[in-house]
Amino acid sequence: MDLDDPLDFENEDPLITNPVVNKKRKKAIGLDDLLTDHYKQKSQILEREKKRAAKAKKNYNSDEDENGKEALLSNIVNSCQNQMEEISVEEENSEWGLQVFGNKETLPPLVFPKLGSCSLLRSFINNKVNTLVELSTETGEAFLEGLLVNGWLSKLVLASGEVEKSIATWTFKLILYSSKEELRASACEFWCAILSSKNEVDAVPVKIHWFPSYSDLEKALVAYGFLSELSSTAEPVNTDSADRGPPENLIAWVKFTAACCQVRSKKSMFSSKEAEKLVEVVTCLFLDRRLQGLSVILYECMHSAISYFTDQEWNTSCEKIAKSLACRVPRDINCLRVVDCISRVNKRCKQLRSAVAYQILVIFFENKITNEEEILNLLITVNVKDKTCDLFRMYIYLALTENWLLSCPKLEEKPVMTEMWGVYLRNCSCLISSTDLRLYASKVRNKASYLLQGSTN
Amino acid sequence: MERTSTNRRRGNRTGIEENTLAIVESTEAKDTQDADDDRISFLEAVRASSFASEVAVPPTNKMYEAVLQILRVGKSLELIMSSYQLLIDLDKHFPQVFVSKSHELVVVDEAWSPFAFSSDVTSNESRAAGENSSGLLDFSGFALLIEELVEIATVENLRAMDTKNLRNMLLFQYLVSFLEGDFLPRKTMYAETMNWTILRESFLNMLLGSRRINYKNLMKDCLSILCGLSQVYTGMSDNRGSPENSNTKPSEDCNPALAFALLQVGKSTCIAMQKFLIIIMGLDNSKKNADMQGQTTRADGVRTPVVEIVLDELTYNVDMLLPFLQAFNQPKWKLEIVVQYFSKYTTKPSVRTRRSNGPVDDATFTGILNWFSSSTGTKSILKKISIQVIQLLLAHGFQALLLLSSQNIEGVMDSKEETRESSLVEICKSMICAFQSLKRTNEEMEILPISKEALFTAATILSMN
Repeated sequence: MDLDDPLDFENEDPLITNPVVNKKRKKAIGLDDLLTDHYKQKSQILEREKKRAAKAKKNYNSDEDENGKEALLSNIVNSCQNQMEEISVEEENSEWGLQVFGNKETLPPLVFPKLGSCSLLRSFINNKVNTLVELSTETGEAFLEGLLVNGWLSKLVLASGEVEKSIATWTFKLILYSSKEELRASACEFWCAILSSKNEVDAVPVKIHWFPSYSDLEKALVAYGFLSELSSTAEPVNTDSADRGPPENLIAWVKFTAACCQVRSKKSMFSSKEAEKLVEVVTCLFLDRRLQGLSVILYECMHSAISYFTDQEWNTSCEKIAKSLACRVPRDINCLRVVDCISRVNKRCKQLRSAVAYQILVIFFENKITNEEEILNLLITVNVKDKTCDLFRMYIYLALTENWLLSCPKLEEKPVMTEMWGVYLRNCSCLISSTDLRLYASKVRNKASYLLQGSTN
Repeated sequence: MERTSTNRRRGNRTGIEENTLAIVESTEAKDTQDADDDRISFLEAVRASSFASEVAVPPTNKMYEAVLQILRVGKSLELIMSSYQLLIDLDKHFPQVFVSKSHELVVVDEAWSPFAFSSDVTSNESRAAGENSSGLLDFSGFALLIEELVEIATVENLRAMDTKNLRNMLLFQYLVSFLEGDFLPRKTMYAETMNWTILRESFLNMLLGSRRINYKNLMKDCLSILCGLSQVYTGMSDNRGSPENSNTKPSEDCNPALAFALLQVGKSTCIAMQKFLIIIMGLDNSKKNADMQGQTTRADGVRTPVVEIVLDELTYNVDMLLPFLQAFNQPKWKLEIVVQYFSKYTTKPSVRTRRSNGPVDDATFTGILNWFSSSTGTKSILKKISIQVIQLLLAHGFQALLLLSSQNIEGVMDSKEETRESSLVEICKSMICAFQSLKRTNEEMEILPISKEALFTAATILSMN
């Protein structure tokens, strides 16, 4: 008997044969591994060469042999290089990111001929204090900009209890199209203030004589270069950086949209259909890598948009959003990003997240399925050991299913689904060996075993 | 004070902790795409295990720590942003200190904190740099972070596309949000119970009283960060259009993601800095109260109130006044600073003792406006303060008062008294009178745009009534 073999009672110990925590991870082949493999092979070849050379010394025809060895070596180097390139290409593809904005249009010019004669300024011109202020209708717009930037305008509006149309449209246009950050930000703050505040005297909301509509917001997005079709091409057609969207106005756009969604109790600015579109648009913004830095305000905006719906509207709207998003997103790593960008902090978000994941799965299976169990059934029947099995796709299925089942009401009705999910997880974690070198093999395996441990805990 | 026991639920968390941490275990200090992918999966796993189930369960402290570590050393924008977002979300959902329904202060047992407790006495040299192997910061690390932020808060440096700047700003924002979350419920409880111990144990008080930081320098640094950022963002629009700056634009475009991030994060850092100063002012106020009631001991130490430091800086360095007033817009404290600024020049210095330091508190904004009603009063102030500074102070003070009257902030005793004492209409009238008097006394006076706007506002409000 070999001393290194386990003793027979060890075989019976489930703790030793089934280690609970699978800490060691085997990565997809790294470049380093390839290189070391290559060097190993090379050194083996060299050794063999030495031996042969020793023999060949007596034969005088080593020239031919040497040529052959050279060819062999260069062949190996070439194939190695090809492999490396292949792998790096595949890896690049696995990074999320879509081109959400194309080239931006020239933003509409900001001309407000009537602004100087708005009633706020007009009523002041004859005031005796104007000897100090020296205001005229010509300097009106510049003066109003000062009032806006330094925060006086919102105080005036709160005191008077109303916002006249010319002021409302002017500040709104500044948010969307001004090239001056200061004006954009102040105008946005102004709107947030008037939307959320109440008149001091009798605590009724400030009367706003003009409201923007959804189409105004949409128009601005189109001008920023927002593409209705999501594409995965890396580079925009026009490489001139000045034309590349989106402009910085997008920041104010996002904040303003969030503020509009938060005040439904006072003024419902969008129909539920428009609000559905808003949720979709904001989700698409998450797919642009250039906008990663805005994630904090994007999350806020998404939350506001999701909570805009009434409880009655929500269930149907959630379905519609999920279906539409699923159709829009390409079937690659980006569909995981879509799911991930919907947070889980409240019930509605979880519901939407689950619905989106489900709808994407349905599309992956080309609408062939009729009920939820069928998806799980299809997943279980996939043979992960099969060399032709697309493990990248498996990885996506796994992540999508996890998110779908996160908040799936069917799960309680049909306990069999939980069991099937368990089977699927065991397939992925046990049938893929840790030495499987296929790309994504370790990712699928690790994810599945992590989820499996989570579900048994 | 109550302490909750979370041991029971922590029990079944250890398994999850081990499994989740295993995801990033092999990535330590690795800089590959693969390692970053693992870190992202880790963040997502923490998110999932904390929010996924019906009953939300907080992560363990080790998991928190690993998330903070990612924020502190993360290289990619995605990692930095999502670790920050996660920490903020977690703190919102699992407050470590809160006021219970039965009006008691609840401090979670073994609560998570981004600050490592290291005793002030056993100062460890290796920790002096604020770097330790864990993700946690000690108080000197906080001071170091502030020093780095001072460097960032200039136009050139904010435009320098560096993820390190972004990381530092977000880390600072998180720490302020944490300190605030720890401080505000305590302050509410202190207002009810007048028990100073509650506030003494706040992280904010411990941080400011720590011997490992130089409090005064820290406050001066904070002030210069606030003013620096304020100048960057108010001056930005003007620089943009000028031709010399169009040269720098292409460099910005080579990483639009970072440009977007820095624009947004820089601004929110300015807001966070303001929050930081405001909670310190609140703490100072409560401490003064506790002082007068004899609740503080020698161990509490003596700390100059931050308002005084701010005032000293602003009078010493007048160039800072405008950016400060533009950036700082919390009405109560803004008004206080304006009033005290005037008082510094108008009241005779009195001998101060530890328990009675408050002749300045009697001054009000209305009182100040009244000095300007007579020409002799106006003249005597003009001798001490320059006409531009007077205008700035009056305009901003007036604005703060307007804002205060429109929002009834709870617990703001001074301001309530102030608005009660004289109606808005009266103040608008005295505001106009003050400027008329200034103009009479000094014919050459150039009225600043902001003063014109203030006068316009005052006159318009008067005409409405």
